[in-house]
Amino acid sequence: MALLEVKKLGISFGGLRAVDEFSIKIEKGELYGLIGPNGAGKTTIFNLLTGVYKPTDGSILLDGVDITGKSTIQINRAGIARTFQNIRLFHNLSVIDNVKVGLHNHYKYSAGTGVFRLPKYFRTEKEMNKKALELLKVFDLDGEAYLPASGLPYGKQRKLEIARALATEPKLLLLDEPAAGMNPNETAGLMDTILTVRDEFGVTVLLIEHDMFLVSGICEKLTVLNFGQLLCEGKTGDVLSNPEVIKAYLGE
Amino acid sequence: MKKKISPMTRKSFVTYGLLLIVFIAVEIMMNTGNISSMLKGLLVPVCVYSILAVSLNLTVGILGELSLGQAGFMCIGAYSSAIFSNLVKDTITQPLIRFPLAIIIGGICAALFGILIGIPVLRLRGDYLAIVTLAFGEIIKNVFAALYIGYDSTGLHFSLKSQGDLGLGADGKMIINGALGISGTPNDSTFEIAAAILFITLIIAYNFVNSRTGRAVMSIRDNRIAAESVGINITKYKLITFGLTAFLAGVAGVLYSHNFYSLQASKFDYNMSILVLVFVVLGGIGSIRGSVIAAVVLTMLPEYLRSINNYRMLFYAVILIVMMICTSNATIRNFFVHNFEKLKGLIFKNKSKTVKEAE
Repeated sequence: MALLEVKKLGISFGGLRAVDEFSIKIEKGELYGLIGPNGAGKTTIFNLLTGVYKPTDGSILLDGVDITGKSTIQINRAGIARTFQNIRLFHNLSVIDNVKVGLHNHYKYSAGTGVFRLPKYFRTEKEMNKKALELLKVFDLDGEAYLPASGLPYGKQRKLEIARALATEPKLLLLDEPAAGMNPNETAGLMDTILTVRDEFGVTVLLIEHDMFLVSGICEKLTVLNFGQLLCEGKTGDVLSNPEVIKAYLGE
Repeated sequence: MKKKISPMTRKSFVTYGLLLIVFIAVEIMMNTGNISSMLKGLLVPVCVYSILAVSLNLTVGILGELSLGQAGFMCIGAYSSAIFSNLVKDTITQPLIRFPLAIIIGGICAALFGILIGIPVLRLRGDYLAIVTLAFGEIIKNVFAALYIGYDSTGLHFSLKSQGDLGLGADGKMIINGALGISGTPNDSTFEIAAAILFITLIIAYNFVNSRTGRAVMSIRDNRIAAESVGINITKYKLITFGLTAFLAGVAGVLYSHNFYSLQASKFDYNMSILVLVFVVLGGIGSIRGSVIAAVVLTMLPEYLRSINNYRMLFYAVILIVMMICTSNATIRNFFVHNFEKLKGLIFKNKSKTVKEAE
């Protein structure tokens, strides 16, 4: 059974059909790419998958469970985490606290326990700190754990966003243009990180990207979107040599 | 390796320490009789305003939403506890039992109203939320100003019309007399109790911020969409914060009402809410210690300016504006910070030398 199965997903904003009859099937452990020209509807699909927008038609199945029309919070608990195209960190919180917010639903104690500093508070906080530092270490951020998130350089902010998403222990990780604004060196580092995330955490990854170096380098399968509609899908090599894809997106 | 204390914990302990020093100083002054009657009268209000400022800072600074209904919650706490104290003052004569009960009742009543009002209101954000909370504060004040409550041997009597409408028996006593307010509340508020509650408020506020719940609330402030994407229930945490703010405001109201023999609802108008907001903004949004300092300074200032009676409010306004400019202007602030560092360097010079030698 596929981890994510989307059937004939569609959404209209007034008269605009932003996404139409979009279907995708992602197997567990795959590294899947979603590409297409600007305005094709890629981020809209992410917003549909994470419950930011409610689809007008179609269905989304995660691990066999129907999550169509569920709220963002429910979908996150079901196992989808994401990053954003324009980085959305908790800027005034420290790096480690950003990750600890991600751990929120897995390490619990009540508000009263926190206010009155009951033993459970210290126990849980200790576990959270340990887990958060482990995660930060994977992304080479453990040295900056107690700095404010806004003080991190751009590339590290992107990494922190991925770390925060992973803290929610997702089955499926959605990355929205992870390499945007990165130089070639940073991109190469990011590719390693994404592979590590997939292999070490056993997370399936779906990513939107314009950087063809990254896409051809790590994605195993691709779906190309154009004007809200599916243009082509299949193995990365086949898709990138498809004449229609070249015409619509890559350029001749 | 030395155990690392998180900056947040250090900050909170500095604040507790400062408060303790001030408390001890005031106690010494009181016991040696070196205190003016004016200052003595200000002690409880200073604590009350500090608690109000800290509690509002939880909503404004930590949750990042503007609420102008602080006086309304204070009013609920003040009135509900005053009714309780008036009813039981003949049966429970020991203020050390009566007053804590009053504080809990006042706080819980305010928190309940806070949550009830919060459910519809917290859907709004920014200016809209500010306007609606302001309106709720005024509604609460006006309802209490029109309320008549009395009791006799047959029980409690309520009315929203007039004193005569209550139909009290011959042995009846009034508790709330409409716009004339409550009178006869036992004066249970002492500086010691008020300071203790301020201390507890600070502990609650710091511990709240520095916990799982506080982090969730701050994540909502920093980025609502991202907070939702990692599974934070926004409504729940907004309500918790709003409820806690209302609870603490209610407790402040209890202290306030038990400091005066008589109290009118008109005291809890929007001026009071704005005043508390001024403390929060001046003390630094999100800075708990700043809220307390601003509340203390700005509560004492008008009283000390009484000597120039006619120009009092003019001076108060000018000082307020100058303080606002000084704290918000980066150049001026850096000037102070720079000189403060220099001063610190002078004081701790010897200490740093010994450290170097040790190395």
